[in-house]
Amino acid sequence: MGLRIVCPTCGSRQYTEFWFGGEVPDPGEEEFERVWLRSNTAGLQRERWFHYAGCRRWLTVERDTRTNEIHAVA
Amino acid sequence: MRSLDLEGRAVPIEAGDTIASALHRVGVRIFSRSFRHHRPRGLYCLTGDCPNCLVTVDGEPCVRACVTAARPGHRVVRENAWPSVERDALSVLWQLRLLFPVGFYYKTLLRPRFAWRVAEPLVRRVAGIGTAPLERPPAHREARHHHADVLIAGGGSAGVAAALAAAEEGERVVLADEGGLDERLAASLRSSGNITVLERAAVVGIYEGPLVPVDGEDMLHLVHPARVVVATGAVEQHLPFRGGDLPGVWLGRGAARLVREHGLLPGRRVVFAGATEEGLEHLAVLVAAGVDLAACVVPASLASSVSPGVRVLADGEVVEAHGRSGLSAVVLAAGGRRETIRCDALVLSVGLSPRDGLARQAQGLPVETVGDAGLSQSLPPVASRGFVCLCEDVAAPDLEQAWNEGFRSTELLKRYTTATMGPCQGALCEPHLRAFVRGRAGEGALSARTTARPPVRPIRLEDAAAGVHFAVEQRTALHERHLELGARMEWSGDWKRPESYGDPPAEYWAVRREASVMDVGTLGKILVAGPDATAFVERIYPCRVADLEPGQVRYSLLLNEAGYVFDDGVVCRLDDGYYLTFTSGGAEQAEAWLRDWAETWGLRVHIVNRTHGLGAINVTGPRARAVLETLGAAAVDGDSIPFPSQRRLHVAGVPCLALRLGFTGELSFELHHPRSEGMRLWDALLDAGATPHGLEALRLLRLEKGHILVGQDTDFDSTPAKLDLPWAVRMDKPDFVGKPALERIGGISLTQRLVRLAFDSAAPPEGALLIAGSRRAGYVTSSRFSPVLGHGVALGWLRRQDDSFPDAVVADGTSGRVVAEAFYDPTGSRLRA
Repeated sequence: MGLRIVCPTCGSRQYTEFWFGGEVPDPGEEEFERVWLRSNTAGLQRERWFHYAGCRRWLTVERDTRTNEIHAVA
Repeated sequence: MRSLDLEGRAVPIEAGDTIASALHRVGVRIFSRSFRHHRPRGLYCLTGDCPNCLVTVDGEPCVRACVTAARPGHRVVRENAWPSVERDALSVLWQLRLLFPVGFYYKTLLRPRFAWRVAEPLVRRVAGIGTAPLERPPAHREARHHHADVLIAGGGSAGVAAALAAAEEGERVVLADEGGLDERLAASLRSSGNITVLERAAVVGIYEGPLVPVDGEDMLHLVHPARVVVATGAVEQHLPFRGGDLPGVWLGRGAARLVREHGLLPGRRVVFAGATEEGLEHLAVLVAAGVDLAACVVPASLASSVSPGVRVLADGEVVEAHGRSGLSAVVLAAGGRRETIRCDALVLSVGLSPRDGLARQAQGLPVETVGDAGLSQSLPPVASRGFVCLCEDVAAPDLEQAWNEGFRSTELLKRYTTATMGPCQGALCEPHLRAFVRGRAGEGALSARTTARPPVRPIRLEDAAAGVHFAVEQRTALHERHLELGARMEWSGDWKRPESYGDPPAEYWAVRREASVMDVGTLGKILVAGPDATAFVERIYPCRVADLEPGQVRYSLLLNEAGYVFDDGVVCRLDDGYYLTFTSGGAEQAEAWLRDWAETWGLRVHIVNRTHGLGAINVTGPRARAVLETLGAAAVDGDSIPFPSQRRLHVAGVPCLALRLGFTGELSFELHHPRSEGMRLWDALLDAGATPHGLEALRLLRLEKGHILVGQDTDFDSTPAKLDLPWAVRMDKPDFVGKPALERIGGISLTQRLVRLAFDSAAPPEGALLIAGSRRAGYVTSSRFSPVLGHGVALGWLRRQDDSFPDAVVADGTSGRVVAEAFYDPTGSRLRA
């Protein structure tokens, strides 16, 4: 897979430099939903990625789960 | 003289030779034996598409001789034959072929039951092509990334035109071709500054991204283009007929290339069968080179284009070919008459199949196809005889048989007969497979094209792994010392650690009676500081942290949000922050986890991972204090550094943070020190009389104290209550990670818990079933015979039965009972000594 993430600190990097940290829960979600339920979105999803082989920061990435296209990184 | 070595025979090399052309020049005609039936096979396509010329070169199996440049000293061995490809004893398999129909391993050798066990090693020995070189260490290959606007696969006229057009538009272009480029075309590409040319570099596949791996001679190129142009051209159509796989049968492009590039002839007396304009060009090349053209089979429409004086059989067809180890005659039919013509080469140019595997595997990606690769596939007539698939030895009757057994689509036939699954990946056989199905089921889903997947060209595993730089083995600063002491090393996560130094019982007794050391530098070690450090650590851990004074330590579990234990370690309060330890191999995960929470809560903390910068040596045993005093450590008495606590010490002049803990159950000082001083400290400790112990001794020592190992004794859903460690969690704290989950499940009564089990005599094996009464009650997770207690000790999971947990169990024939406290020194007096 050729997925690349543009890290705000390190620039455009291969996804293998990152660990996947799961989807970002909605702010309104209760603790039970946050811990136990996944929305399993088909489409745009906000998720956390940890740049372990770079700046070791957590990024919030907006990814389309159908195409693996990345729309925003913060 | 420049020469290569073919099975002990010197074969001269001339300029521009491939391995195939060098061998052909000295009369080699059989290049391999086929996959299933051990039929003789010779040069056929000469474009790297067919499986016939796969040979072993310098120990590397399955090298395509026709696209590999010959180098002096190459050691070439032909594959899949015994004793030699010329006289292969296994060619008897062709005579026995009725015993081995397609899919025979699904339906023969089933009874008696032992039949398959006897046959399997034999089948495995005989099956397959080439031998994987197990004794050779894999070469480490480099990878290089290219960031281009466009990647062009194929450097023929279509690919070069596309490259020039894109470069003109200002795009950065990477063009890759499996062979060398035509010199004139290459020059025009190099004159443009925007084009990178990769020669002798095969495009292997197109992945999401797009990411295009290109397998070059000296490295793997990982190209990240915005779009891809596939210009891989076409391959001449394979034609199945009886004997059509004999050495001496050629595709037109192969025969013409042999003449043009190497000045060699495919044979002396040639029969040509063609149906295309291009075929006539190949014919002209052969005639100009001086072959004796015996006959020419072409459609009537082309008959007038054949040079005069050649015998033409208009609208004729090839019926079959004769020969034992090579072609000796062909049978042609025309106008209702058959005739046999003696010849030693048959050249076929009956049509083109697009080489479109790359484009077809890239659906949904920005990929465009140009040139012959974009031809629409015209299906040939249905084959009734001969080999449809040369790679896997699947003949037309095999398809017939599989169809009659109910495998009635291209995909099902592919899976059952393995046609199209060989080295050519369907380049030659897929049109015939589809024609076969279409002839029976018509156009539609059943006769659809089979799925194309990477790799489209053969690739070494070491190429696929090129550029991987992960340190797969982590070592502590003391690694060399362990080896010098004869340690047997074992994996512990990513680390290598001493399992023992040869005598685990002696190492164990040294801890219980004397003074011993262990390298615990693999522990996760993280510093946390900053204005919000206390608030942060208090919220991370389930135990109380804020009340710790500098110099104090506390053992704690780490819980995830679901309230499950995923690690454990200690919290040390320093003057200016916290020093946290985690289990070996847990540091990376712990660091990411800490950073995640620090960010989520928006707290001002610094998190520094010191795992690789600091070493740690545990000095343990009744004489541990004496050892430290010998080495000049001041104030190591029980008042200055009581259990549990920590303070800074100088041991043998090395500055250490000493943690007074007790995983082994004896007086212990865990000395955390700068990694660079590790060897000095270790040597001094050994000189002062301490002996080293390894993991095996440690496992027994901690088990006698009933301490858990997270991962070995715990499960993914182990809560502190299930582990019988309720004291490790302070539910009266306002908040900590996992607290809401623990509150939620706190009301549910336990159905399982981890218990300490004392056995009457021997220790049951780990994993043994626990029986209570006559019912299964759980299983053993850790178990050892305790030398100091004289009976087996274990940890294990027990299930609740009716209303209570059993307190007596039997495991592996030994009875045991649940004990509430540590097996060894339950009061902890030795720890506190």
